Amino acid sequence: MEEEETYLEFYLDQCTAQDEVVPPRSPPFSPVTSYDVYIPNPSNPEMAFSSHLKDKETSGDFSSVDLSFLPDELTQENKDETVNGSKDEVEKTCKTQSHQSQLPLPKEQDIDLGLNGSGLSSSQSHLHPDDADSVQPSPEKPTSDPLPLASVASMKPMTPVSECSGIVPQLQNIVSTVNLACKLDLKKIALHAKNAEYNPKRFAAVIMRIREPRTTALIFSSGKMVCTGAKSEEQSRLAARKYARVVQKLGFPARFLDFKIQNMVGSCDVRFPIRLEGLVLTHQQFSSYEPELFPGLIYRMVKPRIVLLIFVSGKVVLTGAKERSEIYEAFENIYPILKGFKKA
Amino acid sequence: MPGGRRCPDCDSTELVEDSHYSQSQLVCSDCGCVITEGVLTTTFADEGHLREVTYSQSTGENEQVSRSQQRRCLRRVRDLCRVLQLPSTFEDTAVAYYQQAYRHSGIRAARLQKKEVLVGCCVLITCRQHNWPLTMGTICTLIYADLDVFSGTYMQIVKLLGLDVPSLCLADLVKTYCSSFRLFQASPSVPAKYVEDKEKMLSRTLQLVELANETWLVTGRHPLPVITAATFLAWQSLQPSGRLTCSLARFCKLANVDLPYPATSRLQELLAVLLQMAEQLAWLQILKLNKRSVVKHIGDLLQHRHTLVRKAFRDGTAEMEACEREVQGQRQGEEEVGDSSLDLPVRKRPASPALLLPPCMLKPPKQLRPTPPVCTVTGDENISDSEIEQYLRTPEEVRDFQRAQAAGQAAKSLPNPL
Repeated sequence: MEEEETYLEFYLDQCTAQDEVVPPRSPPFSPVTSYDVYIPNPSNPEMAFSSHLKDKETSGDFSSVDLSFLPDELTQENKDETVNGSKDEVEKTCKTQSHQSQLPLPKEQDIDLGLNGSGLSSSQSHLHPDDADSVQPSPEKPTSDPLPLASVASMKPMTPVSECSGIVPQLQNIVSTVNLACKLDLKKIALHAKNAEYNPKRFAAVIMRIREPRTTALIFSSGKMVCTGAKSEEQSRLAARKYARVVQKLGFPARFLDFKIQNMVGSCDVRFPIRLEGLVLTHQQFSSYEPELFPGLIYRMVKPRIVLLIFVSGKVVLTGAKERSEIYEAFENIYPILKGFKKA
Repeated sequence: MPGGRRCPDCDSTELVEDSHYSQSQLVCSDCGCVITEGVLTTTFADEGHLREVTYSQSTGENEQVSRSQQRRCLRRVRDLCRVLQLPSTFEDTAVAYYQQAYRHSGIRAARLQKKEVLVGCCVLITCRQHNWPLTMGTICTLIYADLDVFSGTYMQIVKLLGLDVPSLCLADLVKTYCSSFRLFQASPSVPAKYVEDKEKMLSRTLQLVELANETWLVTGRHPLPVITAATFLAWQSLQPSGRLTCSLARFCKLANVDLPYPATSRLQELLAVLLQMAEQLAWLQILKLNKRSVVKHIGDLLQHRHTLVRKAFRDGTAEMEACEREVQGQRQGEEEVGDSSLDLPVRKRPASPALLLPPCMLKPPKQLRPTPPVCTVTGDENISDSEIEQYLRTPEEVRDFQRAQAAGQAAKSLPNPL
């Protein structure tokens, strides 16, 4: 038992040291190769754990291992602990597997295992089930076949690392509303303000514009106002306040109530062409692609509730968000789906 | 006439049961006195529960109008199906969709124009679900509707009914569209050398459309212009000697088919792809083909199209990643080196195969407006008075503006000097 604890300590020390160092694309096993130095005894106890934990046995390596030196109560104890899925067992398992697979893995797994590296070190009490799965690629099969770890699945997943795509959608437009809480005389506003246009026959509101932040506002006689064109939430708020100040200076008792962001629009470029016909086939329930009407595919994501316009050039427009995080989340959700159509 | 009752006013026995709107009344036919009134309700259940029924409900006005409108529209659905010569099962499906749509209050309350456009939408959805190639353009011409109105109603109804509408089947569309070209028999307008065998033309057009699809010319674009361009090329290539002089516009006029506007640019794109492929065939490299002469060899190119596309184009996506990692100048240097090391004497051959990308990605990237520097705005900054005042008119300006407005109004009210 003492042996395992020291090995575990060494391993955890390594993990914390590697935490800052491991970038997403780094070769995944640089931490592992160093373990060879620290773990002279090829981790036999761990192999026993892993054989209990895995549903599908990767028979090859483990059956040849000689476990006769282990005392009986050690294996029994670990059997019990396996069911509970305590952190020690899982981390030892991962250590085992990383130790086992000394082959350099193909590139696709870099990111997964990079995640795993940072995952294990950053959170010692939680383990992302996917990360753990990706760590145990069996030596025979270089392509990772995630083996379900029954004990790990019950653990709370940690927040996924955000450098999956490396692309951040840029916000292009924010629409917000505010209540000025007083009846307005639109004719007077149009007369006294230089930046206002008012054509009651066309539209029942004054259209006012300011230069900084570059925005447009629709001001209604009820005192409600819509502000559009800002590139960030704070800019939208500042712009709305400026419009309110203009109305105030014109002699109305304008206030600034219930400022609310109604819609946010973002856009980005995934930089590869997308087979829209394929995407509409696999994601029929969310997509609408009518080339006779519109060149882009309209993807209505359920969670978060965002509408994405996906074009063949790889440009994506995201709209319908009330929060910036919804746009980022929606893009992170769609990026793997789009990547799936990259080589098609 | 119920027995035993007498009018309380004139004591007559001539009592008639009459209904005033839907309210049944017992009226004296001599003096017109109303003796009893029925309950002003429409249903037995309502009567039983003594529930109030509004006037509009009692007259059945809405229902009658809606029902007659619905019946008229359903008849239109059937007529449209017959005009398009669709199988009878399609008729029933389309009618069912229309009835389903009509149950939604938004549709019932919609304008007549929308209801008529909905007729076309239901027929289109039915055809799509049975893979019957029918374009929106055709439907719009048949129901005399604008494409924008049609598209709005179509998207709305698909969402409302939660339908899964499959994409337009390209191969079937090619077959029906090609068959509509009047080139398969000699006629006064079609000289003998322009007449072509239908099967040969169909198969070659299909191959060309498949090629266009593979090389990103179809995704995101309206399918019909691509097919027009492909048909034209197929027709030309089957007998190039006599037909190279014929232009696309003339071809469509001969064939009695409308020329869609994007077809010319699709034609150019398709020819560019074929030229790229021709570079890979040894016996065509020496010929130094251009967009006109390549038509003569379309047959050969199509025969080996799969290998040629693979050889002629490198994976655009891999290349884009390579671009990001390397410096521009460095890459150009590599290309030059690559060029000089090639043994092939053909100067027209590019240093490296072209990228297999949609045309919109091959164009030089637009000069993006430089993203404004990330200014940290908190939204709670102080707003200076001077900044606000720049947007307000001074009293003199207000007076001038009012004077100008008044003058403008006066000028408008004056009659035009004739």
